[in-house]
Amino acid sequence: MDDDLLVRIVAALGSGVIVTLEVTAGALVLAVGLGLALAAIRYLWHRRAIDFAISAYVELLRNIPSLTFLFLLYFGLAAIGMRLPALTAAIVGLGLIGAAVVVDIFRAGFQAVPQGQREAAAAIGLKPIQAFRLVILPQGLRIAFAPLGNYAVALVKDTSLVAAIAAPEVMFNARQLINETFQTTLVYGCAALLYLVITYSLGQAVRWVEHRTAY
Amino acid sequence: MENFPDWGPRLLDAGWVSCTLTICGFLLAFPLGIAVEFIRTRRSLIFRLSADAYVSVMRGVPILVILYLSYFALPEAGIALPSLLAGILGLALVYSAYLAEVFRAGFAAVPAGQREAAMASGLGPWQTFRLILLPQVIRKVLPPLLINLVSLLKDSSICALIAVPELTLTSRAIMSESFLPLHVFVVTACGYFMIAWPASLAVRSLERWLCRRAEGSETAQSSQHLLATPA
Repeated sequence: MDDDLLVRIVAALGSGVIVTLEVTAGALVLAVGLGLALAAIRYLWHRRAIDFAISAYVELLRNIPSLTFLFLLYFGLAAIGMRLPALTAAIVGLGLIGAAVVVDIFRAGFQAVPQGQREAAAAIGLKPIQAFRLVILPQGLRIAFAPLGNYAVALVKDTSLVAAIAAPEVMFNARQLINETFQTTLVYGCAALLYLVITYSLGQAVRWVEHRTAY
Repeated sequence: MENFPDWGPRLLDAGWVSCTLTICGFLLAFPLGIAVEFIRTRRSLIFRLSADAYVSVMRGVPILVILYLSYFALPEAGIALPSLLAGILGLALVYSAYLAEVFRAGFAAVPAGQREAAMASGLGPWQTFRLILLPQVIRKVLPPLLINLVSLLKDSSICALIAVPELTLTSRAIMSESFLPLHVFVVTACGYFMIAWPASLAVRSLERWLCRRAEGSETAQSSQHLLATPA
């Protein structure tokens, strides 16, 4: 293996990692923001219509493959005149799918807060929204943290699909490089190693934070 | 939409390819997952470490990477698989690691006394595993196993990227011929949804049923136990 090839692998995967992390961060922010908002709405307003709408959203997006949904967003919306750039489509697509996962994580988190907490908050005169914001939310977030971390790790892996809509992340760049150098095993092996490092360190970070914030 | 009669049957055929990928992948991943979990519980450090490493790698790396390695990199080692086989192999490798984790949770749920009793009655490790532990574990892990089957169906779409002519790739091909991307992908998404959604609902109700049954038998046992105890 010559030095030149190594430099090219590092350059290609390096610039890919930045895009991968951008897509991960963007989708994570969208998923957590939207997921938290939906879970909070569901918690605060028990309406059959709201419940039904949110369940429909969750079931719909959890039961179609991410890749199909990305194609739908990227190619499908372009056909009706909404041409999203690949990176935007990637972030929006993975974020919307993620929100469906995250809603359930938060819902489970809020439900795991003991009923007495809500009653106590009501008893000291807090309004439902205040009780949610000051009592339920902080405890629910802590419970939801570990499954959110697992979701984040899975999200990093899912960003590899974005290569299919030509966002220049790790797998896309790896493919380009292989077309030029024909070093298939080496380049994909390096990509695998790279993903392993990212997902492993993210997983360890989640466990560390979880450990630190445990009661 | 006027050419739907043309692309409808093609999507149906592609749907069968997706199902083939899913079912073959799962049938291969199931024994592999059990084997990985069996190796992982051995005393020997080398066995344990290699099985752990296998699971960590397969779970830490995107499926796409494994599929690319099995389709594009195996030929470099002299093994050129057709795309369908490479897809099945890749999915099976990844899911064997997921299933190994499921089995681990299942084995942890079987009381240690069962294994000890089996060993004490003279069964070897493999016999104990197969005759005593596995039947109990399978019952416990049935819902997560089936959930994995549903997600395997969804992940089979990734095989589109190694040119397996399954549902997602075929709809992409139809899209570039018909210039109706929205229609085609909405139909495809509905196709996946119509299989995956009822399946996940069924698994959920199976899980609830198993839960109720387990509770029922426990209370039955404990009440029998109470009846048997002299007052």
